[in-house]
Amino acid sequence: MINVVAFYQTKFGELWENSLTSLIKEVIFGVLKEAKLEIDQLNAIFFGNMMAGVLENNLHTSSKITEIIGRNIPIFRVEAACASGGMAFHLATKYLNDNSQKIVLVLGAEKMTDYSPEEVTSALAAASSGEEQEAGLTFPGLYALIANFYLKKYRYTEENLAYVSFKNHYHGSLNEKAHFQNKLTIEKILKSPYVAYPLKVLDSSPISDGASALILTNDKNLIKKSKYSISVLSSEVATDTINLFKRKSLDEILATKIASELAFKKAEVKRKQIKVAEVHDCFSIAEILAMEDLGFWKKGEGGKRIKELSTMLGNSDLTVNPSGGLKAAGHPVGATGIKQIGEIFLQLTNQARQRQVKNAKYGLTHNVGGSGGTAVVTILGN
Amino acid sequence: MVSPVKIWRRQKEKKLILGKVGKIISWTKIYITPKDFKNSSPYPVILVELENKKKFVGQLVDYDEQNLKFGQKVKAVLRKTRNVNSEDVISYGIKFKPI
Repeated sequence: MINVVAFYQTKFGELWENSLTSLIKEVIFGVLKEAKLEIDQLNAIFFGNMMAGVLENNLHTSSKITEIIGRNIPIFRVEAACASGGMAFHLATKYLNDNSQKIVLVLGAEKMTDYSPEEVTSALAAASSGEEQEAGLTFPGLYALIANFYLKKYRYTEENLAYVSFKNHYHGSLNEKAHFQNKLTIEKILKSPYVAYPLKVLDSSPISDGASALILTNDKNLIKKSKYSISVLSSEVATDTINLFKRKSLDEILATKIASELAFKKAEVKRKQIKVAEVHDCFSIAEILAMEDLGFWKKGEGGKRIKELSTMLGNSDLTVNPSGGLKAAGHPVGATGIKQIGEIFLQLTNQARQRQVKNAKYGLTHNVGGSGGTAVVTILGN
Repeated sequence: MVSPVKIWRRQKEKKLILGKVGKIISWTKIYITPKDFKNSSPYPVILVELENKKKFVGQLVDYDEQNLKFGQKVKAVLRKTRNVNSEDVISYGIKFKPI
């Protein structure tokens, strides 16, 4: 039995007073305080981050974290583009499968706003192939190719996409840690300038700083005495080609489908039992594809279903991205996967306050790397 | 700047695609560019299915707006890709033009 017993995150946003180091320091001590643990009780740390090496020539973070905590425990850095956080969490569960009675800290952090949009766009493009970079394709460009194909094939318009941001900004307005807490209108989203046609500024998750951390454990005593505790029922990973043009289809993320199928099978949970989910909405099209590829909606129906707003808080059986998703809560790349798990943890332990989903017993997180090269799906439950 | 050795090494792959004909499977127009492509924004990038069923991506060049559509026939050509400094080796790569 592997349980999440505590969660802490910084605000996500433009945190110019903070360096990567200070963000990491804040969440380590923040989550230890939440869990009422001392540093000495930690057996290992897993750290998710994508761009510190590319943007600020900052690697060997394991040793840098050692300097923060003053202990010599094993520390593992994990990178899988935007799935770095989810992957760090996944590997932490594998560590606990192999080592009993242990307490692990999993954290994700990213510092992005010290640099110009062009520099960050170039750094993010490291998660795409050489051919894609040579073509001048950016991240938004890759998802724009997917979006344009999807809209054409299933006969939807940019308006269908806008409902994702509309919903997620409503959720973000209820989350004091979200990067953006303003509500949006469909009209405002459709009027925002293009980043890569047909995706506009308000279809795209922002450039954010932030960090998030969890305490993960299989220590029976800690689980028993923790005020809040949720079990990891499954965590599965699948991968796909780096090149978008080498994938089998352009209107699905196969890695999501495979990881999702494995996760539901392992957890022995049915899709209709999931009441709350955090999915990877790096761009509006990504949430629509996620809902289809995770098996909640039929392929091609996403554009129609999102307009119904059935996945908005208070509206029905499955609330998606109550944190505000990547779009409104922000997307400090390495921190996102951990924040997603943390949000489900808060929801399942009734700590989500204004954005509380009622009576949720099972939750799901979905974290994607790049244009779909990696997918991590995790199911949590009481 | 891309290493001249890398540019030299990649030439062999480009030969395999040059001159091939295909059709547009999907397209986009990039408005916010990476730093090496700043001067040409906005530019269209297309995903092409070639005659041999293989797919590839590249910018669309020498085009009218009406060519930027699904199914448009295109041909792979050799063009300059990134912006480089005056002393760097010039980076050539695959782009596509409508036919």
